[in-house]
Parts: sequence; structure tokens; C-alpha cells
Amino acid sequence: MSYSRVVGAVEIGTSKVAVLLGEIVGESGLNIIGHSACSSKGIKKGVITDLNVASDCVHAAILAAEKNAQTRIDEVYLAQTGSHLIGNFNVGTTNVSSPDGIIRSIDIESAKADAKRRKLPQSRTYIHHIQNPFSVDDRQVENPLSKEGRRLQVGYWSVHGDSDIVSDSLRVIRGIDLDVSDMIISSIASGAVLLQESEKENGALVIDMGGGTTDYVLYRKGYIVKTGVVPVGGDHITNDLSIGLRVGRKSAEDFKVKNGRAYYSSEDREEKVWMIGDLTIGDREYPMAAITKIIEARVSEVFDIIKLQLEEAELLEPSEIASGIVLTGGGARLNGIDEAAKRSIGLEARVSEGSTDVAEELRQPEYSTVLGLLHYALTGQEESAKTAKPSGLFRRIGSLLNLD
Amino acid sequence: MSLDTQNLFSQETASNHLKIKIIGVGGAGTNAVDGLKLDDLGDVRLAAINTDAQALGNSPIAEKLLIGRSVTRGLGAGGEIEIGKAAAESDRDSIARLIADTDLIILIVGLGGGTGSAAVSVVAEVAAKTEALVLAFATLPFSFEGARRKRIAEESIGELRQLVHGLIPLPNDVLLQEGEEDTSVLNAFAVADRWIGRGVNSLCSMLLKTGLINQDFGSLRSVFHDRGGKTIFGTGMASGPDYVKNALDDLFLCPLLHMGDRPAQLDRIIVNVIGGADLGISKVNEIMSLVSKRFGSREDIVFGAVIDEGRHESLEICILGKADMEGKPAKAPEKSVKAVQQSTVEGGLGLETEIAQENKAPRPVHSSKLSKKKAAEIEANQDEFTFIYNDAQRGYFEKTDRNEYNGEDLDVPTFMRRGIKIKIK
Repeated sequence: MSYSRVVGAVEIGTSKVAVLLGEIVGESGLNIIGHSACSSKGIKKGVITDLNVASDCVHAAILAAEKNAQTRIDEVYLAQTGSHLIGNFNVGTTNVSSPDGIIRSIDIESAKADAKRRKLPQSRTYIHHIQNPFSVDDRQVENPLSKEGRRLQVGYWSVHGDSDIVSDSLRVIRGIDLDVSDMIISSIASGAVLLQESEKENGALVIDMGGGTTDYVLYRKGYIVKTGVVPVGGDHITNDLSIGLRVGRKSAEDFKVKNGRAYYSSEDREEKVWMIGDLTIGDREYPMAAITKIIEARVSEVFDIIKLQLEEAELLEPSEIASGIVLTGGGARLNGIDEAAKRSIGLEARVSEGSTDVAEELRQPEYSTVLGLLHYALTGQEESAKTAKPSGLFRRIGSLLNLD
Repeated sequence: MSLDTQNLFSQETASNHLKIKIIGVGGAGTNAVDGLKLDDLGDVRLAAINTDAQALGNSPIAEKLLIGRSVTRGLGAGGEIEIGKAAAESDRDSIARLIADTDLIILIVGLGGGTGSAAVSVVAEVAAKTEALVLAFATLPFSFEGARRKRIAEESIGELRQLVHGLIPLPNDVLLQEGEEDTSVLNAFAVADRWIGRGVNSLCSMLLKTGLINQDFGSLRSVFHDRGGKTIFGTGMASGPDYVKNALDDLFLCPLLHMGDRPAQLDRIIVNVIGGADLGISKVNEIMSLVSKRFGSREDIVFGAVIDEGRHESLEICILGKADMEGKPAKAPEKSVKAVQQSTVEGGLGLETEIAQENKAPRPVHSSKLSKKKAAEIEANQDEFTFIYNDAQRGYFEKTDRNEYNGEDLDVPTFMRRGIKIKIK
């Protein structure tokens, strides 16, 4: 019998907690054996605001998934999001040590260490160091080992988060006696399953609009060159509608789901929609234009912020992002979201249909992050077996897990 | 402080008349007072305080006070808060004379500029030393006017709130939502002025006119018995056959009375209705019960109803309410303050404040981060004023940290920050 372990992929999202159980068999087999999702409590904008309440609902979701799969989880892969996540691009440089100019592994290690040398204040914790290409004397190379040159450089996109917020999420998992093997930021997890290798090569921007945050990851030439979190999500659309239309949260949510569109169109001026719509006494009509104008303002702002961040990093060149924008997360269900993204960012956009490798019910945009976590639980293993594949290096931060 | 002898004498003769003074501070405040159209209320006195001699000269207001002549030579503060402050400080005595011998002072100010934002606190400080009840209507700049004006306004409102009995913040972002369809940002100041006008007029009519249900100054004072706390103001009006229902609808849709998810919940409310002779007591009762159901419990509400003979099938409802800061769970009528004393001027003190202080709002459990942040960055005072500045606009996110991005709070609806008008009627 081959070795197998059960991995729980957990995303503590603003609107729901999603858990996916995968059985990893041997080195490359993955069976999805259980899943559950339940409404979140005690979480706003991707950050736990009430530890007890949040713990209860995460534990309930984990237990439900275990029951669904009729097995116990061995280890947890946890998604991270929230505006506390900040990324920097750091370049490590080393002079080739051997007199003959042949690069040895010690030089590679030294360049990598140099890139990661930047110390963070106590309150911040690294979550990822994502490796970008090496270059030898300013020429890009895939694998510098045994190449000849004088100066070796390597870039890393490093993401760090607020230590307290990160440890709160780890505490929640430890509260049910499980260990977190790795943390992966939501955007990277989603991107991993939604993009084909060829799309990563051509360049693609994955935007995952959740309940409280919008996470994005930009791939260029197969590498993750930037990630980001805009602390605005579907909850903001609902809140804007609630304030703008002066209706309760529930009605605002209904308007968003039933009538919402991500952009305003001149036909909306004539159209009216009922709040309840079943001839209930007290029901009233609202102008469609009010709904779409409120949503358009919010959605375009989110895309404008992403655009600005990419422009500031000088990464927004349409020719380098030929596969365009791929939208996922609950926000991707909003009618016209692709058109709105295209108008704001100026790249072709499509709504992801989900990974075709999984069952129909798991293709919903809400599951893409947890699927990505399982993907990493599987490939992380492969990567350590093979020699340094450049697409990602996800190392857990030991000190963080030894919290009391 | 030197009171001139004339004032001392006049105090004796007019002691049984309610003395109301409405004071516009700074350019925007003066303009608002200029434009006030009060329903035949002889006893209300209007005044203006400004650093700009020319603007004051153009104002038709009877009582004008130019402050800081030595500082600005009468040329205005030029948006500089320091100059505004120095100007007001240099004329404390004249300000004291202007506000002396008054029972109710209503300050009107547009925050964000140099004179109004700085001088209003000085005026409020001087007023706080008198016996007068002080209310302030303060408009807040549009988000797109920039972070600087917004910051000035926030600082000013934080100071002001501690000094007056009732501070009514009127965010221009929100008011724009309520204007006529063609409201452009350019005449948004006129919108704000109209709102202030309706509030001031309703307040003064209630106090000075006789009506179906009379409310005197004592009732007002009991609602605003202490300084600080959060004041909420809103109006609704309608005319035509279905005027009662429509005015209530208008009131309930008033953007100033909404905190997103739910109507504002208040500890003490004063409601005044102005209607024509056709407004009978049964209609007033209907309005009273619907309003109390919406905003609090019946015991917490003081009602006034004024008949204006000139009206027919026309109704205006104005509500002013006070919520004690930090003191109130979202909805708990059984704990809220008991019936407001109606006749005594000092009525309702003591007990109510104690109750309010006991009901501390629950702190967020996620203490690790928040508590640290509180201690380090946010002083309690500042925390309170960001609350007041934003609460009407943040809704669901009211209790979370501000979502700062390039000087804007992303939790506030984008359409409001961008000045996009949403028509829902």
C-alpha cells in the first residue's frame, strides 16, 4: 500500500469558510474526498475580528468536511488574505566566487540569501519568497548552475503580513488540534488552478474578488511578478447599495444578486425593479440606474486601484499580458464584471469557468482558492523532489507556528 | 471678560423671553445665515463672524463681527487654520459680547476652510462658559475637495463636539444625495444651506410658536442636557393628498438618518412637525407612533406639533436626536433613558448619564492588534470623531478600522466619495 496523507485546504474568507479535503497518494496522486462551506462569522475584510466566533465557524466547517469524507485531516494548508499583506520585489546579487567564473551551487545560495536578507520588523512576518528568474551578467537564465559569468542575480517577490493577524488565523486552526503545514496567499492559490501553463507563460492577471477583499496575481513569462490585495469586495457592493438605496442589508444583497450589473448602461434609465417582487404589501420599485451606478462606481474603483498598482510597478504592458484578465471569486458572478474589468484595466477579460479537472460542483469560483491550496500541497511535494522549479518556493515560517 | 453695561441692563428687562441667536461663522456659515428664511420668527437674532471684511460687508445680517483685524487686516484667513485661530483668539472679548445674554445659540459653519474651522471652536469655547444651550450645524467638505480640507474638518469636529451640546455634522457627500435631480456639485452649498434652514426653522418654530403640542425650551435642553455624544438630524417633507404618508417616507429615506443596515438608534429624540390647519391630532398621533417605532421607543421621544396657517395639505417633519457615545448597544429600548422631563430647565440630568456610561459597547475580541493600535496611534478622542465623521457613511463597516487608501476611506461608498448622485425616488 502506498503512502497517503489527508490534506485539509482551508480558506477563512470574509463571506464563507471553505474546506476541501484531498487525499494525496504517493508522489503525484490527488483525490478530493470531501468538502464543506459555511457562512463566515467574525471576519471582515479578510481579517478575523472576533476570534471566538470565527473559531467556532471554522471548526464547524472542518468537522463537516471530515464527516463528509469520513476521515480525519492530517495537515492543513491555509489561505491568507487581507490588506495587511504587502509585497516587495528584492534583488539578490553575488559575485561568482570561483576564479574560473563557473557558477556553483554555493553562489546560487548566496544570491538567494542576499535577496532575502531584508529583515522585517517584529510585527511583520514573511509568508512567501517567490523566486523570479536568475540573471548572469544581466542576461536572464533559467538555471545558472555551471554557467559562466562574473555576477549572479536573482529576484524575489516577497510577501509579508501582520504577525498578529497571521498568528490569529493559525491559532484558529490549532484550536482544533491541527497543524498548518503551509500558508499560501489566496491570489496565488487561485492562479495556480485557473491558469494553464501556457497562459502563465504568455502573461495573465488573475483577479479574485471575494466578500471582503479582492486579491490579484500577475504572471509574466511564467513567473509571479506581483501580487496584491485591495481590501474591498462584494460586501462593499452590498453596503453601498444598502446606503445608497436606503434598504436593509438583505434587500441590498438581493438587488446585487438578482439585478446587479458591474457597469451602468443608458437603458437603465427607464428600467425599474421591485425590491421583493411578489406583490407583497410594502414592496417598492427602485430605478435600475441607481443600482448599476452604485455598483459601477465601486467595481471600477477596485479595478482602477489594481491598474494603478501595476502601472506604478511598471508591469502593465498589454503585450506581456497576452492572456489577459481571468476573474474568479464570488464577485466574478456579478453580471458584466468582465466588461467592467476590460474597460478599467484595458486588457481582455473573461470569467473563469473553473478548473476542468474537478467535479462540476467544485468549479464554482468560490472553490478556486482551496483547490489551489491542494494543488500546492501536491506540487510542493513534487518540487522538493525535483530540483528548484522556479514557479514558487513556499516555505512555512517555523517560528510562527510555535506560538503559544 | 468685559461685559458692557448696556447688556447687563437689558438682561433684566427681557428675562421671560426666549433669546435665540443664530451665528454664522466663516464664509460658508455666513452665507448660510444670509439665506435663512425663517417663518415670521421675530425674536430670533442673526449674527455673522468672519475674518473677511468684504464678505461681511456684503452680508445683509444685522449683527456682524469682524475678527482678527490685527492678524489679517480684514482680508480673510486664506484657508490657513493657524491664521483663523489667531484671528479668533485675538477677538475673544468681542465674541463674548456677541453671544452674551442668550438662551439658545445655534452656530452654523462650513468646515474645511481657515476661518470657520478654527474660529468656531473659539466661539464654542466662549459660549460654553455661559448658561446658553449651544447647538452647531457643521457642513463637512466633499471627499474630492481633497485630504487636506477633510483633515482640517475632522480635527475641528473633534474639538467642537466636546464643546457644544449638540453637533450636527452634515457631510456634503451625503447631502448631495438628497438634492434635486439637477443638483450639481457647484450648487451643493445651496443644498446644505437648505438643510440647515429647514432644521433651524423647525427648531425655532417649535420653541416660539404655539401649536397642537407645545414644546418649550426645557424639553430641548433635556434632550441636549450634556455635551459630547452624537447628534443626528433629519427632515422629511411632502405636500398633496397623501402628505402624511409621503412626508414619513421622505423622512425614512433621509440619508442622514441611515447607517446603512438600519435606521439610526437614538437615546433621546425631539420630533417636530409643522403642518396646516388640516393636520389633526389623530394624524399627529399616527406620525408619532411610526416615528417612535422607527428610531427608538416612545418614552425617549419628545414631540412637538406646530400649525402654520399658511399651509394646506403640507407637512414637514424634523427630528433631532442624541445618542450617547460609547454608551449604547445597537438596539435596547428597555435600557434606554427614561421619559424626558418636560418642564424644568435643568431636568433630566444625573441618572441618565450614569446609565449611559454603564452600557459600555462591547469591545472587539480581536484584542491583540486593535488594542496595540489604539494605544499607539489613535487617541480615544480621535477615535470618537472619526466615528462621528463617518458613521453615516460606513454602514456595515462602522466598527472596523478605517480602510485608508490615498487619503480616502474605501469603506465609504464610492458613489458618495465621487459625488455621483443616486436618484431613488
